[in-house]
Amino acid sequence: MKSRNFGPRLRRGVSWRTLLIGSASTTPRDQDKKLHNRFSRRALLIGAGQVGLFGLLTWRLRELQIQDSSEYRLLSDENRLSFQLVAPMRGTIYDRFGAEIAKDQENLRVIVVPVFCKNLATTLDAISTVAPVSSADRDRVLRAARRQNHYFPILVSEGLSWREFGLLNVLAPQLPGVQTDRASYRHYTEPRSVAHVVGYVGMAGKGEIDQDKVMRIPGFRIGKTGIEKGLDPELRGKPGSIQYEVDAHGRIVRKLGSTPSEPGRDVVLTLGRDMQAFALDRLAGYRRASLVALDVATGGVLIMVSNPSFDTNELAFKADPKIWTDLVKGSDEPLNNRAAAGLYPPGSTFKVVTALAGLTAGVIKPEEHIVCKGTYPFGGHIFHCWKPSGHGPIALHDAIKKSCDCYFYETVHRLGIDKLAVTGRALGLGQIYDCGLAGLKQGIMPDTAWKRATLDQPWYPGETISCGIGQGYVSATPLQLAVVVARIASGKSIVPSFLCSHANETQVPPAALSLDPGYLQMVRDGMSGVVNEEGGTATRSALKIPGVLMAGKTGTAQSFGKGATRQPTGWEAQPHSLFIAFAPVGAPRYAICCVVEHGGYGAQAAAPVVHDVMTELLQRDPASKPVFVADRQPGPAPAMADAGNAQ
Amino acid sequence: MSMLFAEPSERPQLQLNKKLLLLNWPFVVLIVAIAIVGVASLYSVAGGSLEPWATRHILRLWIGLALIFAIVLVDLEIWMRVAYPFYFIVLFLLLLVPLIGVESGGAQRWLGFGEYSFQPSEIMKIALVLAIARYYQWLPPEKVWRPDAVLPPVLMIGVPTILALGQPDLGTAALFAIVGCGLLFLAGVSWFYFIGGVMGVIVVLPHVWEKLHDYQKERVLTLIDPDRDPLGSGYHILQSKIAIGSGGLTGKGFMHGTQAQLNFLPEKHTDFIFTMFAEEMGFIGAASLLALYLLVLLFITYMALRCRSTFPRLVAAGMGLCVFTYVFINVAMVTGLVPVVGVPLPLVSYGGTSMLTMMAGLGFVLNAYVNRATRIRREEYGPLW
Repeated sequence: MKSRNFGPRLRRGVSWRTLLIGSASTTPRDQDKKLHNRFSRRALLIGAGQVGLFGLLTWRLRELQIQDSSEYRLLSDENRLSFQLVAPMRGTIYDRFGAEIAKDQENLRVIVVPVFCKNLATTLDAISTVAPVSSADRDRVLRAARRQNHYFPILVSEGLSWREFGLLNVLAPQLPGVQTDRASYRHYTEPRSVAHVVGYVGMAGKGEIDQDKVMRIPGFRIGKTGIEKGLDPELRGKPGSIQYEVDAHGRIVRKLGSTPSEPGRDVVLTLGRDMQAFALDRLAGYRRASLVALDVATGGVLIMVSNPSFDTNELAFKADPKIWTDLVKGSDEPLNNRAAAGLYPPGSTFKVVTALAGLTAGVIKPEEHIVCKGTYPFGGHIFHCWKPSGHGPIALHDAIKKSCDCYFYETVHRLGIDKLAVTGRALGLGQIYDCGLAGLKQGIMPDTAWKRATLDQPWYPGETISCGIGQGYVSATPLQLAVVVARIASGKSIVPSFLCSHANETQVPPAALSLDPGYLQMVRDGMSGVVNEEGGTATRSALKIPGVLMAGKTGTAQSFGKGATRQPTGWEAQPHSLFIAFAPVGAPRYAICCVVEHGGYGAQAAAPVVHDVMTELLQRDPASKPVFVADRQPGPAPAMADAGNAQ
Repeated sequence: MSMLFAEPSERPQLQLNKKLLLLNWPFVVLIVAIAIVGVASLYSVAGGSLEPWATRHILRLWIGLALIFAIVLVDLEIWMRVAYPFYFIVLFLLLLVPLIGVESGGAQRWLGFGEYSFQPSEIMKIALVLAIARYYQWLPPEKVWRPDAVLPPVLMIGVPTILALGQPDLGTAALFAIVGCGLLFLAGVSWFYFIGGVMGVIVVLPHVWEKLHDYQKERVLTLIDPDRDPLGSGYHILQSKIAIGSGGLTGKGFMHGTQAQLNFLPEKHTDFIFTMFAEEMGFIGAASLLALYLLVLLFITYMALRCRSTFPRLVAAGMGLCVFTYVFINVAMVTGLVPVVGVPLPLVSYGGTSMLTMMAGLGFVLNAYVNRATRIRREEYGPLW
């Protein structure tokens, strides 16, 4: 019933629609024809719609393939091209005679790509038959293969011999997934003797990563200390690259091209490798000691050693964390370069500075005798001479020779601290030399302004007295003391340097010191007396080479262990033993400073070492021999040139 | 048999040679040309090798051509008689899929018989077209507008669509819906039903959405927008766009498509074969292939328009809609216009069921064209048989 009522109502609606289309025919034949026409209309409509939608697809293709094609082409290349950076060879470091100190050596390695191996364990067994794989390495490889993407290559072992490498190359085609590879590692020829100066290389720490794309090479090593760090930009070189086509899994399909890497520049040091070894060997009997030898004419550092030393090869390649912690925690701080960063009171070696300052200021005359009673009362405090009975009336020459304390107490009392400081700085104390070596210490050449600035206290006259004999606030590094000797010996304002000047480089001769040459000669005579005249403090260390004399000055520095509040006992109770020297007396060529921590008085430990090293130096006479010129030696580095001009 | 036809002149008894003469031969050549593009593409995809895809594609082309001729040569009347039984058998198979189907790639679409397997949903496309055409051949023209006459074909479309959604196979569901609705439209169903249907969906959908559980919503959203899973098809569609775009105007050259040859493309021998073709042949090649497809569609429309009776007319037009929907969704999918739904490119993509279904569909188009002059009297056929 309901549907019947429903029908007609709708029919009215439809007839209304039929009117709209414009056909009112009702016979089946007409209906059929009408539907046929409607089909044709609608089929054409749909056909037109299909053409339109195909137009949309074509428009989309035009957009992708013509409009944005270059962008997609880049993306496609990014997909398929893989650039592998090739580490550059690091520049070689030579000593002044051309002996290799640090050089990149070929590192023959064997690598596996786990995904291509049928069975990783048996593959490792097969490698072991040619090149033994330690069980630790084996565990490491298996662990890495489990943990990371199977397409990542894993290093099995490195530092293979040529024989092993050759055999593995023959074997590799039968062992899918095994590859051989030639990389490089840093090798130090005399690692211990040059450890502190040359330094070592290591993986860049977080703070050391710079913009250089070479940093993206896995396992790339940069200079961490010493010359390796100071000259890292020159030594590093520029990376090359190999362009590969890779598939979606990162597998290399073929090699497309390559640009070679550019090796770093070579560096020729002023050091002598064998002399370094000799000096370190000579210091080996003492727990903590250091020695610096300079070329008096150029300031070139011939020897710089610090004992105890360490093996840089152990840190630069396949570093064992245990060795590292041992070095850092070692009681004698083997990583510390005492020669450049060890601060000591100069003790009596400083008297040459006080003497020069007194002469320059005119407060003492060379012939003037000052009476030494063994004690020097000043400001309610009694200062002692090392010789309790006193030296009696004593003039400059003997005062240096016999190292009379009272003479220099009086000199510095007359002089005042500020005038002492001026001369001290002119001789090279209290400053850092810009010589390319990282980690130099400034030391202290005190004056009233310094005390005001650092301690915010006025200068008390009593403090001046102990400064006159290199105690009190005065502190200096062995390198600085060597510079003092070299400047006194040469009369030139020489600055230490580590790089041999390039053959093409015109050398700027160091400027003359602003001190009277006559006074310098008097001090030199006094220093000669110390070694060569009856009554000198270091006569036992006189050279045994006929016709060649050494001049020097002993120093015995009171020092208590760092921050020690307790009374030191045993070894630590001994004073530091210092000795500075130059030779030959008439025409100085070499200057040396040696400091032996807790070695006793100056003539006891340091002077004999200096004697031996000076004898060695004079016999080898490195300054008279031409320096080595490397093939890829850099031109004058800006820092070096500045250092030369600044003084 | 002749007693079935009241007016023999309108139902000429066609001889075999006559049928072959009436066949649209340029159309057959066009189909073979597109299939050969597929063979070449599959040869390139395999890295310049006939194995493993190109040879089988050639074999399927031969089987497909045989199928076309078989379908053309079988009398139209037989196809009319089997339309409904065929539909219900396929529907039954489709119902079986969730019960005993083989699961592959997260969707249950295949039925296995021994070592062979096929997708009932592919065959359903043909069965659906035949069944709806058969319905409107029977339905008196004056009843076409009536709601109770619209309901049966809507059910015929709706049931397989919902089954396909449940597999889940959004591409096939969309295809059923588009082809089915297109056929209703061509059959003369009023605009108002379509407008009303769209409006009804718009009104009802938010309410249904509200009632869904969160995990159900998530499942539907992932179905519609696979980019929600950025490591899955988001990566694929980006690589596909890179491949097509980097082809440029002239392409990278046959067998030199880096994206395809270096395996950056997913499914490069099936759903993404157009991408590879566009990369290697460039805009010129891709647009030419689209032009070939458009030519096929225009041919089909022309053939449908030439038919005098409702059944062949709707069969031809329905198969045309099917081809169009396949091509459009596939190309729109690989160019990033629509979500990745897994629809092959007809005659080019590798795949047995889809290739043979497409050939069968085109066979029905040709069958309709051969019988273009036939005037079928609706009184000869019952509602079901």
